[in-house]
Amino acid sequence: MSLEFLLPLLAAAVQSGTPILYATLGEIFTEKSGILNLGIEGIMMLGALAGFVTSKVTGSPILGFLLGGCAGALLASLHGLVCLGFQGNQVVSGLALTILGIGLADYLGTPFIGQDASGFSPISIPILSEIPLVGRVFFNHDPLVYTSYIIPPLMWIFFRYTRWGLGVRAVGEYPEAAYAGGLSVIGYRWAGILVGGYLVGLGGAYLSLAYTHLWTNGLSAGRGWIAVALVIFAFWNPMRAAVGAYLFGGVMAFQLRLQATGTHIPSSLLLMLPYGLTVIVLVFSSWKGQGLDAPAALGINVEPSE
Amino acid sequence: MVNGTQSFIRLENISKSFGSVHANRNISLDLYSGKIKALLGENGAGKSTLMSILAGKLQPDQGRIWLNGQPVDFSSTKAAIKAGVGMVYQHFMLVDAMTVTENIFLGQEEGFLIKPKKLEHQVKDLASKYGLDIDPSARISALSMGERQRVEILKLLQRQSQFLIFDEPTTVLTPHETTQLFEALKQMAHQGKAIVFISHKLDEVLEIADEIVVLRQGSVVETLNVSDVTSKSELAQLMVGREIMFQIEKQPVEPKQIVLRVESLSDDVLKNINLEVRQGEILGIVGVAGNGQKPLIETICGLNPPRQGKVFIFGQSWNQFFAHRPWDGALSYIPEDRQGLATCLGLDLVDNFLLTTREGFTKGPWLMKKQAEEKAQGLIETFGVQPGDVRVLARQLSGGNLQKMVLSREFYRRPRLIVAEQPTQGLDIAATEDIWNLLLKAREKAGVVLITGDLTEALALSDRVAVMYEGQIMDTFHTSDTEKIDQIGLMMAGIAP
Repeated sequence: MSLEFLLPLLAAAVQSGTPILYATLGEIFTEKSGILNLGIEGIMMLGALAGFVTSKVTGSPILGFLLGGCAGALLASLHGLVCLGFQGNQVVSGLALTILGIGLADYLGTPFIGQDASGFSPISIPILSEIPLVGRVFFNHDPLVYTSYIIPPLMWIFFRYTRWGLGVRAVGEYPEAAYAGGLSVIGYRWAGILVGGYLVGLGGAYLSLAYTHLWTNGLSAGRGWIAVALVIFAFWNPMRAAVGAYLFGGVMAFQLRLQATGTHIPSSLLLMLPYGLTVIVLVFSSWKGQGLDAPAALGINVEPSE
Repeated sequence: MVNGTQSFIRLENISKSFGSVHANRNISLDLYSGKIKALLGENGAGKSTLMSILAGKLQPDQGRIWLNGQPVDFSSTKAAIKAGVGMVYQHFMLVDAMTVTENIFLGQEEGFLIKPKKLEHQVKDLASKYGLDIDPSARISALSMGERQRVEILKLLQRQSQFLIFDEPTTVLTPHETTQLFEALKQMAHQGKAIVFISHKLDEVLEIADEIVVLRQGSVVETLNVSDVTSKSELAQLMVGREIMFQIEKQPVEPKQIVLRVESLSDDVLKNINLEVRQGEILGIVGVAGNGQKPLIETICGLNPPRQGKVFIFGQSWNQFFAHRPWDGALSYIPEDRQGLATCLGLDLVDNFLLTTREGFTKGPWLMKKQAEEKAQGLIETFGVQPGDVRVLARQLSGGNLQKMVLSREFYRRPRLIVAEQPTQGLDIAATEDIWNLLLKAREKAGVVLITGDLTEALALSDRVAVMYEGQIMDTFHTSDTEKIDQIGLMMAGIAP
């Protein structure tokens, strides 16, 4: 495989991995607090629509991106209401959120189908983009990609070296202990849901503002589900999430390129690749990690007094 | 704020109910600094509930709390911690996946960033000041129960709590660790802390407390100074509300043929285990939990095949026996986890009865539910399981009644080998007595392996005792051998006499 094929492929891997990265980081944040949110796919779709519409109306893609995150947090707050307010089942609530988010985005987005809005375009970073190989792969993208580089290390530091990070981890591991230590379990879990939802919403907005500048139905195309699987692959570690997201971005970019070369392999089979890889990755991480890195209280509700 | 020497807390007319259960009825209590107060009572007497209210974990239905003469509102654990109240819960409130230091500083408000090195240093200083040896960077999951308890104590000391509550702190400790804990408690009381010691063990309470408050069924029945206590049985009587026999009738039974033989059994944990049990005797296996009892039981009961060495049950090899284990006249296992391994909480008593006896009620593909129901009903009446209705769900039974139901089922199988693991853990004295008598009676027909952490139980029931430490059997001896019995504590700590 020549460098001329490989380098653009790797660059494309980073770009198509970015929305998955935002979503995976969001889900990691939420799950660290002990809340399982399976509504990512729906949250991404609503974030994508909110970002697109805002950018179209105001002409400001930055505002669109930020509001995409807000829409994500807003939809996620419904999950908080069900799981924290009423002790509802987290799996059922998450699945309902997916269906709701996708349906809402499709319905509200109908007038915009096929239209475009101003979005983000690639900006090469001076000096860094001159580095051979690395420069072309990592530093020749739109600003949102660069933003996504900073989040994993920030999140890693947050969980390891800040008091709030310690609190989020504690309510996800052993809420009773956190409560006995004087922390508000419900408060920290709300934070986990909202911050996580915001990040997932940003991932959605990336799709409509940078990945494409167009609106179509079903824009997220299962990326939310891939993110859920990647959380497990990453063993809840934000740095590993970046590796996983780019791996999946790579497979997505690769199958697109393979289709473009006019291969004889049926395109539906190629489209299946990322999802097939999801299954393999899940099997691999379950075998390797045995679920030991999962927050111990993931998916378990707590009484409101705590 | 709390001031070192003269602080006191008054609990006034505290009441708390859970549904129809009155956990606390109108309880009043004073705590003074420099004193160790023991709350004595059986399981379910309301000790933990009362102290959880003081620690802000539960809210009282009625009553109030006074701190140094001022009414205070402990509406959250945070408020209680601020007022200087700290509690070491029976189930440790530690996050396994975090380090000692992270746990100690969890919930403390001091800046945004954590500096692990600096904090670890603080923990080290604090630990050496109170003689509580601990590695500040170790993960909780790697620590022994005794070490975890030290972390809990350090947590309270770090917050400079003035009122320290210990809920059944000795349950998980070796005799040696218990001595260390008592030293630390006395030391802390000496430094002006008010200590509350919750327990149902009479000896401990008499050893450590200045004042004893006896609780029964949610009410205070008596408050006395330790110097006023004349006898242990007086305390025990206050606690249970009736005379109890500490000596149970044990009829001698002639041991007959060997029912279980274990020969040089070894695996990751177990080291060259040899033992023999005959029909007509009870072999007590004692030791601190986690010293290899679990893997040993799991092999004997057919959950895990022997890795190295041999196990013979009724003279058959492990493979032969478990290839077609007969449902009756054979092996009965009474697991420690009676709500998990022994029963299905969501099923009624008939279905739970059928869990291990279904082969006796099978005709072709059909289960004979009618007969099973009649049989089960008869059994629970004989064994006095309350409520005496087989259609209730297992989860509706109290711990003691559930255990009696399990025993009735297992004895129905007419076992010749019984493996009973912590059979009376968490049960009140009356239920314990019933279970003990049932096991003694069963030994007329069967060999019994009794795994227990409770020495009183082991010595009351066993004909012979084996002491386990770190996967090996330190020694096996008859319970008539008083010299060896005095050394059990040492053997449990790994010191061979």
